Amino acid sequence: MSPVQLALLVLLLPLASAALIALFLRRQGTLASFVSVGACTALAVAALMLSFGESRFTAGMEWLKLDALTISLGFKFDDLAALMLAIVAVVGLCVHVFSLGYMHDDGARSRYFAGLSIFMFSMIGIVLADNLFMMFIFWELVGFSSYLLINHYLHRQAPADASKKAFIVNRVGDLGFLLGILWCYWSLGTVSLDGIAKAAQGGMAIRAGIPLLLFCGAVGKSAQMPLHVWLPDAMEGPTPVSALIHAATMVAAGIYMLCRIEPLFAAAPAVALNTVMWVGTITAVYAALCAITQSDIKKVLAYSTLSQLGYMVAAFGLGSLREQQEAAGVTISVMLSAGVGAAMFHLMTHACFKALLFLGSGSVIAGCHHEQDIFKMGGLAGRMKLTFAAFTIGVAAIIGFPMLSGFFSKDAILYLAFEKNRAVFVILGATAVLTALYMVRMWRLVFLGKPRSHEAEHAHESGVSMVLPLIVLAVLSVVAGQWALDLKSFEAVFLHVPEAHGSAHVTVFAVSLAVMIVGALLAWVIYKPATQDSLAMKTPGLFGGLALLKAAPDDTYNYYVTKVQQRFAMLLNGLEQIFLAGVVIRGLAGFVGLIGMGARALHVGSIHAYVYWFLLGVVLVWGFAAGIF
Amino acid sequence: MNSVDLLLLSIATPLAVALVIALGLPKRFSIKLAYLGFGVPALISLYLWSQYSVAPQLDGYAFRSTYDTGLRSLGIQLSLGLNGISLPLFAMAGIVGLAAGLYAIQSGAERLKIYLMLLLVMQGGLMGVFASIDVFFFYFFHELALIPTFIMVGIWGGRDRSYAAMKMTIYLTVGAMLSLIGLIALYVNSPAQSFDLIELRRVLAVNPHPLSALAQNHLFALLMFGFGILVSLWPLHTWAPLGYGAAPSSAAMLHAGVLKKFGLYGLIQIALPLLPEGASHWSWALAMLALGNVVVVGIVTMAQRDLKQMVGYSSVMHMGYAFLGLASLSAIGVNGVVLMMVAHGYSAALLFLLSTSVYHRTQTFDMSEMGGLAMKAPVLAALFVAATFASIGLPGFANFWGELAIFVAVWKFSPWVALGAVAGIVISAIYGLRAAARVFFGPATEEFSKTAEKTPVIDLRWSERFPALVLLAALFFVGFWPKSISTALDATVKSVFHVSPAAAPSSVAQK
Repeated sequence: MSPVQLALLVLLLPLASAALIALFLRRQGTLASFVSVGACTALAVAALMLSFGESRFTAGMEWLKLDALTISLGFKFDDLAALMLAIVAVVGLCVHVFSLGYMHDDGARSRYFAGLSIFMFSMIGIVLADNLFMMFIFWELVGFSSYLLINHYLHRQAPADASKKAFIVNRVGDLGFLLGILWCYWSLGTVSLDGIAKAAQGGMAIRAGIPLLLFCGAVGKSAQMPLHVWLPDAMEGPTPVSALIHAATMVAAGIYMLCRIEPLFAAAPAVALNTVMWVGTITAVYAALCAITQSDIKKVLAYSTLSQLGYMVAAFGLGSLREQQEAAGVTISVMLSAGVGAAMFHLMTHACFKALLFLGSGSVIAGCHHEQDIFKMGGLAGRMKLTFAAFTIGVAAIIGFPMLSGFFSKDAILYLAFEKNRAVFVILGATAVLTALYMVRMWRLVFLGKPRSHEAEHAHESGVSMVLPLIVLAVLSVVAGQWALDLKSFEAVFLHVPEAHGSAHVTVFAVSLAVMIVGALLAWVIYKPATQDSLAMKTPGLFGGLALLKAAPDDTYNYYVTKVQQRFAMLLNGLEQIFLAGVVIRGLAGFVGLIGMGARALHVGSIHAYVYWFLLGVVLVWGFAAGIF
Repeated sequence: MNSVDLLLLSIATPLAVALVIALGLPKRFSIKLAYLGFGVPALISLYLWSQYSVAPQLDGYAFRSTYDTGLRSLGIQLSLGLNGISLPLFAMAGIVGLAAGLYAIQSGAERLKIYLMLLLVMQGGLMGVFASIDVFFFYFFHELALIPTFIMVGIWGGRDRSYAAMKMTIYLTVGAMLSLIGLIALYVNSPAQSFDLIELRRVLAVNPHPLSALAQNHLFALLMFGFGILVSLWPLHTWAPLGYGAAPSSAAMLHAGVLKKFGLYGLIQIALPLLPEGASHWSWALAMLALGNVVVVGIVTMAQRDLKQMVGYSSVMHMGYAFLGLASLSAIGVNGVVLMMVAHGYSAALLFLLSTSVYHRTQTFDMSEMGGLAMKAPVLAALFVAATFASIGLPGFANFWGELAIFVAVWKFSPWVALGAVAGIVISAIYGLRAAARVFFGPATEEFSKTAEKTPVIDLRWSERFPALVLLAALFFVGFWPKSISTALDATVKSVFHVSPAAAPSSVAQK
């Protein structure tokens, strides 16, 4: 099988699985779950063969051609795509297997697994796409699968609202994305990734508006401020979905897309990159502050995801770095696409440890009989030993414990910020303190101390299908750091990961170690195992302020939807009914009335009369033309 | 079999069946025969669709035939044929007609025989509209299909049916009259002395144009506003939501899905290629009115509580995209409009069908009295959600291609207009998903729980499911394989628009 065929297989397998389940297996939940997991296993094997294989290729076929507009279905499989494909395949497989256990008793398993398969199809489409139109197509499709899966628990109101919100907010971002694609198409004459790179590197003048509009798509999908409001709500979906879609892969698609079109940013005025950098930085620190006040285990992780996505976006926005490299005894200065390298590196490590944390939380939730409040947990370390061990590794990785994966990728970003922009460096460093604070807080409240509720007392370890993915992801969270950078397969990406040298190295290392320790100690000092938030008890003012900070965008959003948008719609509707129906139709009716007898019949109100007049007219015209009269 | 006869057969079969039913056939046989009346055009249209690429063409049309009707002195002949523009619409008319017919047969409407008879007349007219090359018969078939609509709304309609029927009649008559005046004026002014579209094209679509710019402007205005009313151009659209809200579902399916496309079809085949200077004169005005459809009507759609009215408004909104594509005066745009028309035909018909099925389970169209229907009728919910996503332009469904091509064309026309147009993807997501959530998801409302106690809710029956699946299959088919339409379409659009200076994308509205 040629690599192109293999890629096609990877793309189409999950689609086939979804179609099969939707058409024939609606009532056979068990069979449906095996079909979906089987398809995912096969695609993961094929995807890893591709990613770690030798061949890198582009291939394409014409999908639609209308005059000058050609939309093609094509693959661009370079190291960047290979890396992303490997991440999606591995995390996807873990989540599929985990779902076997987690969703075992769910009545609508068929729908759930069909949804997972559609998601895999859509996500792989984004990864392989060789042009922006195709990327947009699959971009919309992941939004759809996300909608479907958030809304899994149909009978409840909250998921219905959350899924709607997620799709609509994403479409707001897509509005900009699509306009950006159109602008790109007409100003560069191409939307293919290779074409864009060629045009941008060929010295073509590029308006900053194009990359900025395209960035809107990433703001929506990767939940950056101010379009972040949908992600915390999306936690209404089943927990494995949160792990796969709303933590590891889909929300990272925005960062991946940015990396795909990096030449556009490099060629555009610096304002584009600076905007990206600040949006990411602000999101990172803002979401970390919000995470501190959350009491729902999934909400803490959701805000943490927002914050980490902010890191990645900020890293991308920091841009390229000039670095001295020694080759054969000669020191040469090379330009690194350090933003891409650091962002993708952190994307990879984050995918591992955040999927681990979410699946771990799923295991905890299942163990505690669907209790999600961390203040009603406690003492789970002894009751769920494997989950505890895996979760602890995840926590250590995200707060940047030395030698774990998160440590290396966060260091790369901090170093890049240190070299390029000290303000961003300070903010991201402070964010790291907060990260350690809220993660250790959660970890301690969930696992240590005594059980604080009936559910936690009777917690039990999860089954093998749920624990196995945790172990795999825990191993990856440990090794995906420095070790991954040496992988030959993704050389073209990881070559650009910035590595600190000399004094900068010492500074960054010291800072990242210090912030982690400070954050963890703060958490240890502030939070006691209790049924209430210790911070809220000790400093209600500070806690209230943070809660307000968290609530402000949500309130604004709700105010806009209910008070502004809906009222405006009602107003226009009222005007429509009064003005158009009342005035214009009366005027038209008057106009008709003037036309003559036949029309007067209409005005009087008989349809039959109209029909007769019409028939008479036809007969007359026909007769006249045929020469009868 | 000689394929020439097939077009005539597709028009004549439903009409003949209608005639036989009218002559007093017993109900049992009437229904059996109605299957034939709806099935034959659908099968013929599918067959012709598959044969088009290999069929011999004459003057850009395949399956040509001409019949003398005694009106030759006026330059009128019944001239049939299909080109790349009419082919997908003809096929769409056949398939949507089949779905509407099947849905009507199972509906158990009162006086079912007359209902079916009227639908069959409509079906015959619809097939004729898209098969006619002669402008007179093109118009004639439209009227043939239009009159049953009024009667069906008046007799089988729901709430406010007499007001709705009246309003529809007045608006559509004015629209039809204006466009008729425009067509006659075109006939009188053109040196062709013929209603034959091929002849008209030969004489008019040349450089320099035989008509003065002023004459073209006037003629185009008549056609634009005349056809525009028929297609619910803002602000002349208010008949549509009201009329569709009241219309029985099969009539709404056929009108909103198929018959409404007559106006756009007329603009594409007649007004734009034959009056290029008139078209470029009016393009900005048309674009502005079309934005009214997309943005203003789109926002109004959000405020609807009545499910069927909401579907009606959304259909009006989507016509705005079509007008925008036309206003862009480019081959990409016109291609997009035809794709959009085809897709919208399927998706609007599907939504009207499913809305009625929802009504049969909730006993109301008021969305604030529904909720939680998905738990009781999962198949209905799945189909409705699919139809909603199709209509809001999700990739994978046919509608997406039309919208995308139109957006591309409109950006070239004016990026600011494109901003308004693309805003439609957010607006449509808001009203579409809101409706889906209110009807199907979350807990059931009190009102619906009471209704469900009285009459147990059952999921979609196969007699309802089959026509819905036919429409959904068509949406998927074109969505995954747009070339099944676009290859022939693009060839025709390029040949029809190649002479007009405004048509080439390179010369559009450069600033």
